[in-house]
Amino acid sequence: MSYKITEEGNIATVHLDGEIDMDVTEKAKEVIMPLIEAGKEVHLNLKEVQYMDSSGISVLIESHQKAAELGNKVILKEISKSVLKVIMMAKLEQILIIE
Amino acid sequence: MAFKEFKEFPVESSSLKEIRNFAREVLAKEPIFESSMDDIVLALAEAAQNIVKHAYNGQPTNDTMKVDINFENNQLTIELFDKGSPAIPQNIKPRKIDDIKAGGLGTFFIGQIMDEVIFKISTTDWVNHLTLKKNY
Repeated sequence: MSYKITEEGNIATVHLDGEIDMDVTEKAKEVIMPLIEAGKEVHLNLKEVQYMDSSGISVLIESHQKAAELGNKVILKEISKSVLKVIMMAKLEQILIIE
Repeated sequence: MAFKEFKEFPVESSSLKEIRNFAREVLAKEPIFESSMDDIVLALAEAAQNIVKHAYNGQPTNDTMKVDINFENNQLTIELFDKGSPAIPQNIKPRKIDDIKAGGLGTFFIGQIMDEVIFKISTTDWVNHLTLKKNY
């Protein structure tokens, strides 16, 4: 997994790339959580994520919940077909914010 | 076409990518898996992840886990063997459908994807033996 962060005003966009599994979830959290804790609205661009398992989904859930606790939001953008399929299998498409 | 292939992998999270690639390579041999390959790979990887996370509690080990992939009579059978702590079948629970948390999600995925999931304590050199089946 690799990533790139761009910031514009209060919006931080994290472009994730590659396969997100148990092996990289800590790294993903280390990237995303500080942005949420800093009060940013975080956009996760998942266009280049080819694979995500339950550990990756847990990062999405925890990020969503942390942002909600702080009165903010995490928005999932340009979700790849394979990741969307997993989100839908987890029945989370109505819970997570998807644009 | 029928085939049976197996491979052993170190019990560590960095093996998960290798396991997925092994499965993709094996399943690519049979066109029947084309539309379901991503799902099957996910189910297998979730089962392997459970070995690292639960059978070994995420602790470092020199042990290996074995993955068998067998296709015969239009049935795909994937078997995983490990030497971790014996799993307690009643503790292997998928998350409830309306439960918004990650725990149990992997087991939930496995149940959604596969037709049959059988767990038993192995009578061979291994401890845990998980069998996943899907009919085609």
